[in-house]
Amino acid sequence: MSLIEQFIQRAKQAPKRVVLPEGDDERMIQAAVRLVAEGIAKPIVLGAEEEVRALAGGASLAGVTIVDPAKDSRIGAYSAAYAKNRGVAEGLAGRMVKRPLYFGGMMVAEGDADAMVAGVAKATAQVISAAALTVGFSEGVSQASSYFVMVLPDGKVLVFADCAVVVDPNARELAEIAVTTARNAKKLLDVEPRVAMLSFSTKGSAQHAHVDKVREATAIAKEMAPEILLDGEFQVDSAIVERVAKKKCPDSTVGGTANVLVFPDLDSGNMGYKLTQYLGNAKAIGPIMQGFAKPVNDLSRGASVDDIIAVTAIASLQCGG
Amino acid sequence: MDRAEVEKRVKKVVSQVLNVPEADIRPEHKFTADLGAESVQSLELVAGFEEEFDLEVDEDEALSVQSVGDAIEFFVERL
Repeated sequence: MSLIEQFIQRAKQAPKRVVLPEGDDERMIQAAVRLVAEGIAKPIVLGAEEEVRALAGGASLAGVTIVDPAKDSRIGAYSAAYAKNRGVAEGLAGRMVKRPLYFGGMMVAEGDADAMVAGVAKATAQVISAAALTVGFSEGVSQASSYFVMVLPDGKVLVFADCAVVVDPNARELAEIAVTTARNAKKLLDVEPRVAMLSFSTKGSAQHAHVDKVREATAIAKEMAPEILLDGEFQVDSAIVERVAKKKCPDSTVGGTANVLVFPDLDSGNMGYKLTQYLGNAKAIGPIMQGFAKPVNDLSRGASVDDIIAVTAIASLQCGG
Repeated sequence: MDRAEVEKRVKKVVSQVLNVPEADIRPEHKFTADLGAESVQSLELVAGFEEEFDLEVDEDEALSVQSVGDAIEFFVERL
């Protein structure tokens, strides 16, 4: 069974209420129908009911909750909550929350949905903005980031971050990425994360400001989440090859056996995942968005119905529980 | 609505949304570089303008507006 199929099977054990704000896209409606039929999630589609029904093309929408933000009685409460959280006038807040991405985000923020999956029609930056302004960030986290699940040809699974969102994180931001990724790896993969903070230096083998940043991030991350098995700084081989780790960092509890690799910036992260994908023949699942107080996941504009279902299953598992 | 009135109202909205004194806001100011807007606040500015001028604008077009002067032009053309 592929990893995606495993995610779907696990999501079925406790189907979550996932809001799909782009109810004017046929793929979203088809995905919602399948999510119900296969018992993966309880989809909430945002849009005008007649338009959603027309896009369903006669397929049964039993089990799909359709919510029209323009007619929904919760809009007043969402406006008031948005205005209070953001410190803006209620008139402005009302104009924000009637937009589907923001209405969906407020459903998640206010506990009327467990997660949101969007992005077939909206740019990633718009999905991130909506999530940041409605759901907000997890405690101790200051920005959105992302991770990839890399499935190697031998079946081994590694998690890479951040390979898609944060261009040049400072030490604090890098620590946040490490901690957030570790927590999501645990929820999604049901494994104990072993986090390696990557560099071109292993435990002081090189001196440079870039190495100092990773060292500082390692210290901050350990302080943020002492329960997570995390260490650094490591070169990639010291992180994942036990033979090398025994020589270069014999005292590290993570060296040689890391399953979560945190890259120091987007240059290295993006190149690292693509090298693994194309030269190492790994399958790359992602980027999976993270950092929000509750899961909001982004889709590529070319997403297929299968992709929407996979991302919905991932969002459901990121809910935990 | 004349340009002076549009300018006055644009500055009022920018001041409220970005928490910058109205007197410090000039047409040449860019929202992010000069007035400290975070990128996630772009749509709040758009919603603030919509509320002030009581009209709905195309979101993608409005998000291309990057400065106070651009916003003034944008609404002068539409009012």
